[in-house]
Amino acid sequence: MTRLLGDDWLLPALDARNRAWFTSGRLALQACTRCQAVQFPPEEVCRSCGSFELGERASPGTGRVESVAVVHHAVHPVLRPHVPYAVVLVSLDDAPGVRLPGNVLNRAPSEVAIGARVRVAFEELADPDTGETLKIPQWEVVA
Amino acid sequence: MKNVPVSVVVGVGESAYYERGKAPLSEFQLALTAIRAACADAGLDPREIDGFVSYLDGRNDPLRLSAALGVRSLSWTSQPWGGGGNNMAAAVQLAAAAVSAGYARHVIAFRALAQGQFGRFGQSRAAGRTGGDFAYQHLYGLLSPAQECALHTRRFMHDHGISQEALCEIALTSYANAQRNPRAIRHGQPLTREAYHASRWIVEPFHLYDCCPENDGAAAILVTTPERARALRKPGVAIVAAAQGLGPAFGVAAFQGDWFPGVFYRDVAEKLWQRAGCRPADVDVLQIYENFTGPVLMALCEMGFAAPGEVEKFVADGALAGPDARLPFNTSGGNLGEAYIHGFEMVNEAVRQVRGESTCQATRKRVERSLAVAGPGYAAGSAVLFGPL
Repeated sequence: MTRLLGDDWLLPALDARNRAWFTSGRLALQACTRCQAVQFPPEEVCRSCGSFELGERASPGTGRVESVAVVHHAVHPVLRPHVPYAVVLVSLDDAPGVRLPGNVLNRAPSEVAIGARVRVAFEELADPDTGETLKIPQWEVVA
Repeated sequence: MKNVPVSVVVGVGESAYYERGKAPLSEFQLALTAIRAACADAGLDPREIDGFVSYLDGRNDPLRLSAALGVRSLSWTSQPWGGGGNNMAAAVQLAAAAVSAGYARHVIAFRALAQGQFGRFGQSRAAGRTGGDFAYQHLYGLLSPAQECALHTRRFMHDHGISQEALCEIALTSYANAQRNPRAIRHGQPLTREAYHASRWIVEPFHLYDCCPENDGAAAILVTTPERARALRKPGVAIVAAAQGLGPAFGVAAFQGDWFPGVFYRDVAEKLWQRAGCRPADVDVLQIYENFTGPVLMALCEMGFAAPGEVEKFVADGALAGPDARLPFNTSGGNLGEAYIHGFEMVNEAVRQVRGESTCQATRKRVERSLAVAGPGYAAGSAVLFGPL
């Protein structure tokens, strides 16, 4: 099994806007080519300056846990074998105000605390429908 | 600028409330039952209704309702966009706007739901693939409103030193007040502090009793002008002020920027208090939508009732429970104790408090300002303040 929540758990529907995020092995944040503002989630317009010209900026992927919720009740049958699991929000050192949902791969749910330093790690798997290699951003606590 | 009341509630009504899947009527029949009850309460022939407002993508089409009720001339239909129970008070505001502008005379605002007959809120329909903003959260097992609100709540508790007891107090208050209300689904099922703490986790920091149940039923109010109210059965209750406020969309967007942690009510509060010409301290009785207990604590702060560092003390030791409380809170039992009709049961309760008809009627003084705050934490929030005409 390559994924924390099991290989049967759902995947993102890839499109032009999110493909790099889930396949490149980089944290490819959306960034405005005019004013350089970084925004998450991505949008069709820069929320800062109104430009439609949007590109990406790779983040080094270091940050901190801003919140954690330990899920005990599985809201989908596929998740039942995987509770409890922790969902975290991670802020990036280089993108103030952005908070990314994820899971922590190298700690038990009860051992993930607000304030913990983390770095990005990727769950790598073959897309079951297309065979394309997916690299899903996740997090590891830095000792 | 203070609003002069130009719209009033003249009728409140509801169906019986049921556990999910237990309603003997269809959702449409439940809606009709609540609407007829609101008209009977007002002494208005339902054929005189000429407008309908609901929210949350209501399934009960005004055209179908009009035909069923024999409405003579339909003039107004509308719904606020987006989210969920965050729009319960916005629906009242739309009804008020319609009658005060003269576009309709007798507008029903309502919510009907039978979760046993349709999809269940709070249950993931995710399977296979998710796109859009949800692509960035569903694959991490972050799917339900409880989970999203838990992330806000956990950080709020962390920042302000708030303990699990503060959440427990909200649940205990709603349950205690439900024991006085024969309409309440939890009537006869009191909750103790011990049972709260012993209940299973749904998603930390929410125990089972921090989460609203799933229920079937309908609730409705009838809104008209003060002039027309004089011809009806009971004194009108003024819609003193209402406000909708900007927030980010729900889901992953709700965690970004300055919005976190919180429930997106600062903007609602600013507009509401300005329009009402009063302050939180002037409120006599308060209803706040509890999807989950944690967002209620944040809403109390953002609406201006308590500072974050004081909110645990504000709710401690049953301070808000019962009719004699300093600030009687969720007096019908709320979503947790009365019924989860996406908060519209709280609109009815807020009106009843002004009339002096609550089963947990505030006793300290005659109710002059009765506030209902809609679902915290999702998209645009809303709130409505009622008072005597």
